[in-house]
Amino acid sequence: MGRTKKSGRRAVIIGGARTPFVKAFSDFTKLDTIALGTIAVAGLLKRFGVPYRDVESMVWGGVILQGTAPNVAREIALDLKLDPACEGMTVTRACASGLQAVTLAAAAIERGEADVVVAGGSDSTSNAEIKLPQKVVHALAPLALGKPTPRDYLGVLSQLMPITELLPERPRVAERSTGEVMGEAAERMARRNEITREAQDAFAVRSHQRAAAAIASGRFDEEIVPVQVGDGRWVHADGLVRADTSVDKLAKLRAVFAKDGTLTAGNSSALTDGAAAVLLMSEERARAMGLRPLAAFASWAYAGVDPADQLLMGPALAMPKALDRAGLRLSDIDLVDMHEAFAAQVLSVLKMLASGPFARARLGREEAVGEVDPAILNVHGGSLALGHPFGATGARMVTTMANELARTGKQTALLGICAAGGLGAAAVLERVS
Amino acid sequence: MSDFLLELSKNPTARSFVRSLGLPIPLPQPLRRDSGPWRAQPLADTPCLVGGTDGAELLGSVADCLAAAGADTWLSMPAPLARLFHDPGETFGRPARLATMLPPEKVVSLLVFDASGVKTALGLRALFDFFQPLVTRIARCGRVVVLGRTADGATPEAAAAQAALDGFVRSVAKEIGRKGATANLVLVEPGAESRLAGVLRFVLSPRSAFVSGQPLVVSTRATPISEPMLVRPFEKKVVVVTGAARGIGEATARAFAREGAHVVCLDRPADEGPTSVLARAIGGTPVALDMSAEGTAEALKTALAPLGGLDVLVHNAGVTRDKTLGRMKPEQWDQVLGVNLDAVVQTTNALEEQLRDGGRIVCLSSIAGLAGNMGQTAYAASKAGIVGWVRASAERFAGRGVTVNAVAPGFIETRLTAAIPIAIREVARRLAALGQGGLPEDVAEAIVFLASPGAQGVTGRVLRVCGGAFVGA
Repeated sequence: MGRTKKSGRRAVIIGGARTPFVKAFSDFTKLDTIALGTIAVAGLLKRFGVPYRDVESMVWGGVILQGTAPNVAREIALDLKLDPACEGMTVTRACASGLQAVTLAAAAIERGEADVVVAGGSDSTSNAEIKLPQKVVHALAPLALGKPTPRDYLGVLSQLMPITELLPERPRVAERSTGEVMGEAAERMARRNEITREAQDAFAVRSHQRAAAAIASGRFDEEIVPVQVGDGRWVHADGLVRADTSVDKLAKLRAVFAKDGTLTAGNSSALTDGAAAVLLMSEERARAMGLRPLAAFASWAYAGVDPADQLLMGPALAMPKALDRAGLRLSDIDLVDMHEAFAAQVLSVLKMLASGPFARARLGREEAVGEVDPAILNVHGGSLALGHPFGATGARMVTTMANELARTGKQTALLGICAAGGLGAAAVLERVS
Repeated sequence: MSDFLLELSKNPTARSFVRSLGLPIPLPQPLRRDSGPWRAQPLADTPCLVGGTDGAELLGSVADCLAAAGADTWLSMPAPLARLFHDPGETFGRPARLATMLPPEKVVSLLVFDASGVKTALGLRALFDFFQPLVTRIARCGRVVVLGRTADGATPEAAAAQAALDGFVRSVAKEIGRKGATANLVLVEPGAESRLAGVLRFVLSPRSAFVSGQPLVVSTRATPISEPMLVRPFEKKVVVVTGAARGIGEATARAFAREGAHVVCLDRPADEGPTSVLARAIGGTPVALDMSAEGTAEALKTALAPLGGLDVLVHNAGVTRDKTLGRMKPEQWDQVLGVNLDAVVQTTNALEEQLRDGGRIVCLSSIAGLAGNMGQTAYAASKAGIVGWVRASAERFAGRGVTVNAVAPGFIETRLTAAIPIAIREVARRLAALGQGGLPEDVAEAIVFLASPGAQGVTGRVLRVCGGAFVGA
């Protein structure tokens, strides 16, 4: 099983670590994406006893990047005082950025570019930059550059009318190409794939219950790095999980994206702050250092669809592609982990995977990819319960699944992530023994 | 040249003013067009009501087409037929719902009725039952499409029933034209069902804005070619447009370039300036040749040689020398027949080898050629001649997968028609079902459609782009 690599090298996952995920504008408001990433990486290296000088490369994923320091990976390495020789790059593929960073790291190791790489992602929705309208920026350019004359000032004033156009733009999770807010797109998907409110709420409740059970059992303890916040308090656990939620409670919530819609705050993932990091090594180096590899990538795949059609259906194309590349069928898979942007989106993708006509027309295969057994899907909950710091989610999923394979002795896990821009991402993890 | 009444109609205040006073001024509905490149889902989220009777044979193709094109489909048909829509709906996330659930306030943009199962005179009642309650609910710039079968081998009564569809559709076109809506008939030969989708996409989309009251026949004549491309269908293809300097030719060249084609823009040496400007703008190749001159066909062949082949040939170049027969000079007759008909024959013969399999030939006919016109004996003869040439050539090229068709523009707002006296011009505009003249772009879209891979089923035909003109068959 697994891909044959030209180099004969295999990248293995040693483990992962993440900050707790908390609601935006709560405990982590003062920590930007670099600070959160730094905490996660420091915790990761400490946990596995990896000397800082051994880290050769850092690959980071992020969505809300700071204009003044967009290369988060490099900033983390510098803030942590890793060896200055540890190079770093930052990638962005919307909500799949974290997985993108991890798969890039695996590829670099398998190409022989490095032996020890830290990959992951972070986002601080609380620190999204409020942007001035581009019109204001352009109008102010003569004042900012060169020596403005009074005439220039007058010119600027005349351009900046009416006053309403000067107000800073509120950041929105909206598609640049269509202007559609992501929740609206998910709402349309719910309608088009005939996903009911009840099914969405039930799925959300299950996500919370499973996440709560995982927290209660201490399952996440090996993954989470506690974070000390400004007032000296320590945040140890994810802040969004509600153990006591129920279908009845969720049923009371109001639809938020359409008047007669089905998507609510309860069955949509929340704006979240957090970071997650994964330690990857070449198999030889891991063995040499006496570290036990948990898992390796059997494959990965990325896909794109028309954002104006079904924005978040990407995983329905990417997941079969990853399975094909791994030479596996869905029935061979022991665990499935899907990013839960919206319950409606996950349920829509599951419906597509189970559809024969979809497989024939859209995937060019004779039979449906298959039904995903709810028992193996998101066994410890997902983004609906845990939250979704955009860049961190992929690395969180890789960490949880790698640990799950090692703990249970199961062989394979399939990951699926939808992302803005009509993108889909998927990967197959296999246990390394 | 601009159409004052159409401009007036575009102003909502003026529109409601004229309406409220009940002034006897026709207010044509400004047509909805789509000038951007072809889209994978041209009917995205467009409400479409589909009807059919027992024995309807085309709904499977309709279901595939509508779901892939993104339509929001509502069904009014017997349950076994409605089931045909389930799988395509699931594939594209476009579940078809029952028309009985359609909210009464919802306007319907597209009405499709499969009448292929209608075999008797009384069976035509199904048309009435489906359209009568809906015809007043159709949206502005909506579309009515009736599907039928060609009559070959049918019983006389079944032939009558299918022929009746023609009169029905033409009359519906007149009735809904004021709303900018069109009605067309698509007749599908047995075995050509899989070729319906490309045609249906066109007649339901805004690209057929000025095509109304027309029958389109989908046949199996031309040998099948590769899978139709839904976007940028002309990528890596070479298209020759004659008479490309201005008007319909220019619009056609631009439309082909927009879909990815390399366009060879051909016009006479006197128009080399605008031809070159156009070719540079669209990344094409300018060629200056006089279609009426001796040896032009061979010269064109030489000019095209470096491009390594040819996919689409649009015979657009044409001249008018309008004179009553009594006053016409022989050289005028010769010029008209030479450019409009002889040049088509000669250039096609010369370029036949260069034309690749699966290629396309599109000619420009004219309503005048179909209906005749005072003072246009030569012109009408040349344009009617095109009809015969297209019919015979379609047969000749069918084995190579090449289709040969013509478009017959009605009143199109060009430099030529701007020269017509205002009174005649006004009459010509308002006599069309849509109550206005078309744009060169409307003809260009029809030509691009006929040249597209999805129009493999249409060959040997004349497609009128006339807005449902009063004259002509």
